[in-house]
Amino acid sequence: MTLVVSHASRSYRSYAAPMVGLGSFIAFVLLIEVLIRVGLLNRFIIPAPSEIVASFARLFLEENIAQRFAFTAAECIAAGVMITVCGITIGVVMQRFSLLQRACETWVAAFASAPLVLAYPLFMVIFGRNAWTIIMMGFFSALPPVILKTIEGISGTRKVLVNVGRSFNLTSTQQFWKILFPAALPTIFVGVRLGLIFALINIVGTEFLINFGGLGQLINDLAERYDLAGTYAAICFVILVSVLFFIALERAERWLRPVD
Amino acid sequence: MAETGRLRRAAVAAPLVSPVTLLRVAIILGVLAVWEFLADSGWLYRDVVPSLLSIGRALASLLLDRNYYFHLGVTAAEIGAALAIGGTAGLAVGLLLGGNRFLSKAFEPYLYYLGPTPKIIFFPVMIMWFGVGPESKVALGTLSCFFPVALNVAAGMRQIDKVLIRVGESFRATTAQMVVKIYLPAMRHPIINGVRLGFGFALIGTLLAETKLSNKGIGFLIIQAYSVFDMPRMYAMLIVLFVLAIGANALIGRLGGLDKIKRT
Amino acid sequence: MTFARASDALLVADDIFVQFDTPEGPITAVDNVSFKVRPGEFLSVIGPSGCGKSTLFNVIGGLLAQHQGVVSVGGETISGPHKSIGMVFQEESTFPWRTVVDNVAFPLELVGMPKAKRAERARHFIKMVGLDGFENRYPGELSGGMRQRVSLARTLASEPKILLMDEPFAALDEQTRLLLGDKVLQIQQQLKQTTLLITHNITEAVQMSDRILVMTYRPGKVKRVVDIDLPRPRTSEIVSSEAFGRYVAQIWSDLREEANRGMHDEEKHALNEDGRAV
Repeated sequence: MTLVVSHASRSYRSYAAPMVGLGSFIAFVLLIEVLIRVGLLNRFIIPAPSEIVASFARLFLEENIAQRFAFTAAECIAAGVMITVCGITIGVVMQRFSLLQRACETWVAAFASAPLVLAYPLFMVIFGRNAWTIIMMGFFSALPPVILKTIEGISGTRKVLVNVGRSFNLTSTQQFWKILFPAALPTIFVGVRLGLIFALINIVGTEFLINFGGLGQLINDLAERYDLAGTYAAICFVILVSVLFFIALERAERWLRPVD
Repeated sequence: MAETGRLRRAAVAAPLVSPVTLLRVAIILGVLAVWEFLADSGWLYRDVVPSLLSIGRALASLLLDRNYYFHLGVTAAEIGAALAIGGTAGLAVGLLLGGNRFLSKAFEPYLYYLGPTPKIIFFPVMIMWFGVGPESKVALGTLSCFFPVALNVAAGMRQIDKVLIRVGESFRATTAQMVVKIYLPAMRHPIINGVRLGFGFALIGTLLAETKLSNKGIGFLIIQAYSVFDMPRMYAMLIVLFVLAIGANALIGRLGGLDKIKRT
Repeated sequence: MTFARASDALLVADDIFVQFDTPEGPITAVDNVSFKVRPGEFLSVIGPSGCGKSTLFNVIGGLLAQHQGVVSVGGETISGPHKSIGMVFQEESTFPWRTVVDNVAFPLELVGMPKAKRAERARHFIKMVGLDGFENRYPGELSGGMRQRVSLARTLASEPKILLMDEPFAALDEQTRLLLGDKVLQIQQQLKQTTLLITHNITEAVQMSDRILVMTYRPGKVKRVVDIDLPRPRTSEIVSSEAFGRYVAQIWSDLREEANRGMHDEEKHALNEDGRAV
């Protein structure tokens, strides 16, 4: 029996660290504000935080940031549905045919680490400077993790569960749908989560680069108009959306996990 | 890579040319055949799918073009600088956060949640701060690669087997000896993985920035090819880029000795 | 620093007292434990799980600063890991990124011994533990028992006056354990190495020791000191002798009481956490 060797933890201690983190951030922002007011930092390079906050209202009222958000979200949903359907299907097929898996899995892994997004000019040629380029960019860059995690999830089913199925004389189709696939779901979801994050990053990035679409295009637009505070505000908004999306996906995964 | 050990397949006697290689060759040939068919069919707009021959020619002329290597050098230097600055900063921050529970709880969540965000959108800010030259590209590359390195190093610090630290203490190693002979080697996997990811992100960040606003570098060449609709050249450049990127990734992994030292 | 007297004790533990703060209040792990180890002696400390033996190991090894009482080696009070004490840990502790010879040479590297000499010394100790031929292998390629031998060789390479081991064979199967015990005995007898072994295994303790300290369950005190009067040199064959059996029975009767207390304590703990009674 191991002895618990720890100092008594009082509940307030668990909030101390996050408070320090948040406090440092706020202090940093205030410092920037002061330095700009005093003139030590050039306000034409870094706008005052107060100005940035003030721009948020403008973004909503004049720049239609809400509609742009909806546009980007729609692109993400489209890409998300596609990668889920195609990724899982391809993953299942690859896992089923071991020769195919052995031949192609390393290729898929290589694609996962390849900078696919750099081919966006190519996609523009093929699809035009429109939403399809953006969605396809999100789709292709997000596909590999879904495929790889699907293969991993199905292959990683515990041998004993497979044996349970065999002891009940299940056909291989039944075996797949009743045992392998459900057992693989948590891992598959991890893959989908990774894919969705890659998709969002590449979609917003592509919008910025090709100057079309929702949020990414807004940033580009504001930057070209030299609207400093607006640009910073838009960037903050996108970061906020991205972080919230990530947190939501994490929650969803945790909610699914208890089934494991 | 997925572990197929759990669902064991019956061992097959090894034939002369492995079926895996055969299938791979078959797939490659199949793709090339479909490609050439599409190219010659005229279904798609001219040169969206150029013939393999024209791509081959463009590839040859690219590799023989001295100017290309100049741009390649510019991009490589930018990526190198970004990796050096971002990687070092990431290593330092990672060691700090990984070694101190309080600091980790206070600041690591910021790194963790800010990591998976599109960094290219910061490019306008980088231009404001660093101008339109290579510095802004290096800055974006640095920003991109900082996060994966820092997060991987911090995680790596925490998962060092505690007994190894006690071994070092029991032999009264100095702090420097502990860091060099125990901490860093014990973290080689997370560090190498962090560097690989960091390299990948630095590559993407730098190149995307070049495509957006630059007059030098591979990214610039790609956009230039796009603007004059020289598709074979664009394909050629993308092929070279991908080969280099995947190759560098594998090289970093190999350098880290990952395949040589098995974990206990 | 105390005046170094020519006493017959190499290691002296004087009134060691260790208390930890836990969410359930302060817990005394080690309560006024004192003993001496003579040069060349093999002393085992045996006790049930939870009797504080690993805590004692950490105190003597200098890895646990918060304690009362004094540990001294050759008259010198220790404060932190002492160069005369070599520690062998219970868990896997070989460096997976170093070959066997580099693992064993580690303490020599720390003191700046030149490379050629290090390798030669390391090979000497690798041979001593019976791993010659495996110098350039990595720990990942070896079995658990072999890895523990590497850890042992590494500690021996620093030529400590006192070898301090914390249940080094706990993770191994019985047969490997007996054979490794043989090896350790052989080495100890060859080097006349002063050894302090912490263990929960009675057979192991009786097989190897000159004296055994039996500890009580928490708070750990010395319950009894048993002199093991079995002839040396010893091998694992001794486990089948009658005298051996008597020693084991004697120690077990002491330990059973303590082990029972430990088990009841654990059960009480589990009930408390369940929210029921007490």
